[in-house]
Parts: sequence; C-alpha cells; structure tokens
Amino acid sequence: MENKHQVPVTVLTGFLGAGKTTLLNRILTEQHGQKYAVIVNEFGEQGIDNDLVVDADEEVFEMNNGCICCTVRGDLIRILSGLMKRADKLDAIIVETTGLADPAPVAQTFFVDQDVANKTKLDAIVTVADAVHLSSQIEDHHEAEEQIAFGDVILLNKIDLVKDEDIDVVTKRIRKINPFAKIIKTTKCGAPLKEILNLDAFSLKRILEVEPDFLDSDHDHEHDDDITSLSFESNTPLNMEKFQDWFGKLLQTKGQDILRTKGILDFKDQNDRYVFQGVHMLMDASPMGKWPEGKERSSRLVFIGRNLESMNLREGFENCKSA
Amino acid sequence: MTADVNQFPALDKTKFEQRGIEFRLGIPVTTAVSVGNSIAVGFGDGSVRIFTSGQSSDAIKAHKGIVLCMSKDGNHILTGGDDGRFLKISLDGVVTEIGNFGTRWVDNVTANNGSLVCSSGKIVYLWSPNNKEPKLFEHNSTVGGIAFDTKGKRLAVSRYDGVTLWKKDYTKKWVSSNLIWKGSHNKVSFSPDGKYLVTSMQENAIRCWRLKDKIDFAMSGYDRKIKSFAFVGETSYLATSGALGMGVAAAICWPFDGEGPMGRQPTCLSYTGNNEVTFVEPFPSENAIFAGLSDGSVFLSEIENKNNTIIIRSFTGSEVSAIAVTDDSSSILIGDMNGNILWTSIWDK
Ligand SMILES: [Zn+2]
Ligand SMILES: [Zn+2]
Repeated sequence: MENKHQVPVTVLTGFLGAGKTTLLNRILTEQHGQKYAVIVNEFGEQGIDNDLVVDADEEVFEMNNGCICCTVRGDLIRILSGLMKRADKLDAIIVETTGLADPAPVAQTFFVDQDVANKTKLDAIVTVADAVHLSSQIEDHHEAEEQIAFGDVILLNKIDLVKDEDIDVVTKRIRKINPFAKIIKTTKCGAPLKEILNLDAFSLKRILEVEPDFLDSDHDHEHDDDITSLSFESNTPLNMEKFQDWFGKLLQTKGQDILRTKGILDFKDQNDRYVFQGVHMLMDASPMGKWPEGKERSSRLVFIGRNLESMNLREGFENCKSA
Repeated sequence: MTADVNQFPALDKTKFEQRGIEFRLGIPVTTAVSVGNSIAVGFGDGSVRIFTSGQSSDAIKAHKGIVLCMSKDGNHILTGGDDGRFLKISLDGVVTEIGNFGTRWVDNVTANNGSLVCSSGKIVYLWSPNNKEPKLFEHNSTVGGIAFDTKGKRLAVSRYDGVTLWKKDYTKKWVSSNLIWKGSHNKVSFSPDGKYLVTSMQENAIRCWRLKDKIDFAMSGYDRKIKSFAFVGETSYLATSGALGMGVAAAICWPFDGEGPMGRQPTCLSYTGNNEVTFVEPFPSENAIFAGLSDGSVFLSEIENKNNTIIIRSFTGSEVSAIAVTDDSSSILIGDMNGNILWTSIWDK
C-alpha cells in the first residue's frame, strides 16, 4: 500500500495585538533545523533560509450547498497542493490567519478536499490570546470568542502585564468557552516550539487521551450568544442507528451554532471504538481499533458552540442508549 | 520517497517501454509542454529540462522551489513558480525574467498573439510585444485558471463564484462580463469552436456555459476533483479525469458537437484496475486520448472506438502528473510524482 506520509499543518490564530506576529517571527528566526513553510496574510519579512514564506489572501468560499457555515479556504487548497509537489519535503506547514478570522473555514478545508486530507493533516489550532484584553475582546467581538473555542492550544500571552488574580479570571473565562484546550501562560509568546508545533492535537487518536477537566458550569453571566461547552458520558452502549439518526440531523439543523464536536462512542454489538471530530456540519469519523481488554467501555461526547442549551442535547444523547 | 524509485515491480514492460528510454530522476514532475519535437519538463525542485529524441538536457535552474505551470510562446517556454517569478526560457537554456511577484506565486502562464500572460494572486498580467509595463486585469479573488479562445480575442479568467470574460470593445478597450456560479472554479477552457466555456470546480464537477445565451449546466457524477481536462478531436470531445470506477479506471469524454453536451451521455474510456485517472492528454492527430493513472500507468484509447485501447506504460506506483506529445505526433513523454520519466516513440517502425 501507499505510504501515507502527511505533513502536519498548524493554524495560528489570535485576535489583533495578541502577539501572533511575535510568535510567527520566533518560528521564522529560531534555529530549529526543520524545514517549514509559513503561509502568511500580509506581505511578511522573508524568513531565514530553511523557512519558506508564501503569501495568501485568506480567501473563503461558500460550498454550493446553500449553507452559510460550510465555508472553505480555496487559497489554502491551492497552496497546500502546490507545496506537496516540492522535491524536498517539508517538516511542517504553519498557516497564519488574520486577527478577525473565523478558524472554522481553515479546519473545514481539511475535511472537504481529498488531496489536502491525503497529503497533509491539521495538526493543531494554536490561539494566541492577550491576557490584558481578552475578556473585553470576547465581549465585543465574536471572532475573539470563536478563536478561543477552536484552540487546541491557547497561549495566554502578556501575563507579565496582569495581576495574578486577573490571570485566574481570564483563565476561567477561557475554560468556560473551551475546557479542552491546553493553556500555556507566556510573556512574549515564549513557549517552546515543541509545545506548539507537531502536537497531533487534531488526530482522532488524541480524543481518546483528552480528559476534560470541567469546571462547574456557572450560568450566572451568560448572554444568549455566548459560546459554551457541554459533555456527556454513558456506560450504557449506544444504538448505532439511533445515534447516526440523531447526530446527523443535529449537525444538519444546528451545525451553524455547533462549532466543534468530539467523541468516543461505544456502540452495542461493535467490538471497535468509534471516534470522531467535527467542525460545524462536517466531520471525520472512523473506528479506532478494539476496546482495551479488561477496561470499562464507555461513550463520551463533547460539544462547543452557541445556544447549546436549546438543542436538548442531553435528551437526544439519552435516547441513543440501547435498550 | 525518492529512495524507492528504482524498485519497480517485475511486471512485463510494454513494447513502448521496451523501445523507449526511462529516466529515474527522483524529483516530482509537475508539468510538461511540447515545443516542436522537443518536450520541456518542469520539476518540483524549480528546474526545467528539455527532452529531445530521448535525450535530456542538463537541468536549467529556473525557479527556487517548484515549477507550478508551463506554456509556450513560439519556440520558447513560459514558466511560473513558487518564487513569484514569470520566466521565458529558450530551448538552449537562456532564462529571461518577465515578471517578479515576490512571495506571491505565479499560478498560470500562457501566450497570446505575441503577448505574454500570467496570473499571480487576483491579477492577470499581460505584456504586449511593444510595452514594458503589463496591462492588469483585476478580480475579486485569486485566479484559478486563464484561457484565450482559439482566435485570441477573448480571455476567460476563472475564480471564486464564476468566470470573468474579457474582450476588447470597438475602441480596443478591454471590457469584462461575468459568468456566475457559486463555488471555487479552478481550470478554465473555451471549446475549440468558441461556443462553450468550461471550468473544473472544487466540487467534483465541470461547469459549462453556452456563451450565446449564457445558459449554464453541470457535468457531474465524478468521484474525485477533476484535476485534468482537455478538448480533443474533430468532433470535439471534452476528456476529463476524476472518475473512479469499481475495477476500472475511466476517462470521461463529453460530446461537444451539434447541440453540445446538454442532456447527452458521455463516452467512458476505461481500463481494468482500481485506479483514478489523474491526467488526460489529447492525441492531436487521432481522435484519441492518453489517460494517466494514479498508479503511474498510461493507456491510449480511441474515443469513438473504445475497443481500441492499448497500455503505453505499466505501473510505477506514482501518480502520472504530466503527459506531452511532440508536435509531429511521433513521440510521447510521461512523467510522474516520483520523477520517473518515459520517452518513447508512438508508432511501430
Ligand atoms: Zn453548513
Ligand atoms: Zn458576557
């Protein structure tokens, strides 16, 4: 069979002024001995010799299915496909997005284009957040909130400018939107690159490892359009048909409000674990081998999105349990 | 994966391979264009080589990273690269820079009546023979493909949500009109009679416009994105990649004679195997196409006589990324993503 070597792609997001450029410049100037391609939006400075800078326009197009959330970065398809024709192979690709960008179209590009999915893989979405301004940015700009919701890694930057108790407040705020991300506190984005690049955070395998440390969800301060998360667990095996029916309809009708989903599923009469990961209406699912011998089988399902309370998710999930 | 290029499985070689010359360069072939009885090949390390009578020239250092696209202007080659340069190269290897766009790639190049044309980002640049500065054609999103009609009077530029059609008005000023269909349009081409315009889309479909009344329709049912298409033959068929049959590799050919392809069935040229057709190249002197597959094999098939199908090149394990036929139709060059190249004569001596 063909050797499926996929080049990892890291997506770098972050609201204006959070320090994304600082991080990018570090990647471009640090001696890492790796061959990176960096896809930037504004005409950037040229990197050192072993990095390759590509100019892109962050061009999003709507798929022809009449749905406004099904958007894709066509420029990324073009550039990633082009980079895969290089004679000397890349160790990683980094995609910078602008401060006001929605990360969903970038992630969805990897679900939609088969060539891109075959030859590259979405490694992680890294969000740089400004510890000083994040709370107010989240209040005023839905983009800032979405970037937090999509982060697999969140660099909480500029903590040297914030009092300890305020760091706790902003950390709590991040956790409420996205309890699954790894938060790294930094000044000047000073985290080691190995904690940012090549993490395999988006791989289906990783879902099995993530142990969400949930805070009690306090609903004392919540706007209708605030992003929240919900997770469900069950030790009763699920009925596959019922689950597919419920979950398929849910993504079709509520996919615009559901930003991310992840899950490990234990289906009745199935020996394999099923895992999936989704962005809005699009998802990637597959069996992931047998359940470990002697360990309890259970299902876990996680949602990040808006108006989750209105979707009767618990009831829907409960109904999928096999009788 | 350059290490394993020499380990071909011990399959029987075709007679074309037996009498041909094989090169194992280990550098991905990105594009090939015939110039007279030579064939220029672009590679994924930025170099270009000229093949003549089965002999390869030295590598011409053209671009820094990848030769993204290639065309010709008379007996010169035009190339665009990921170093943002638009180059004109003579067959003896003299490189002239026409344009330089820095970190913005040059995605398309072509020539039209002595003018040199390329696209970089959202703009198409046209250098007329007597002008130092190019004329700029601007669009709202990055250009997917560019094409002139056979007479060179109209320029079609594909992009997001359709095609911009440029032509000169009576004052010789370029004016544009739009052909609209939502989504991302990649390659574009006029039919040889100039009556139709087709694009390959991000969705697995071809979009087609009948230009006299701008009626548009889809040619769909493909399993994959259509990476390669070409018009071929006197009756004009549109041959396309992108179909993946059960047990057959198929090139789908749509009829463009008479009332055009609307409501008509395509001809399906197939060969045994579970592979995708990744490249189609017309055989200009015959009503036939060469179809290159994802496993490196290539077959030749007559469109109106499907039983007349022959294997030109057997399995190499690497996707066919370029096919070109010399202008006298005597020889063919086939290249793949592992840098395997076959040059062979088409006709039995
Ligand atoms: Zn949608
Ligand atoms: Zn609030």
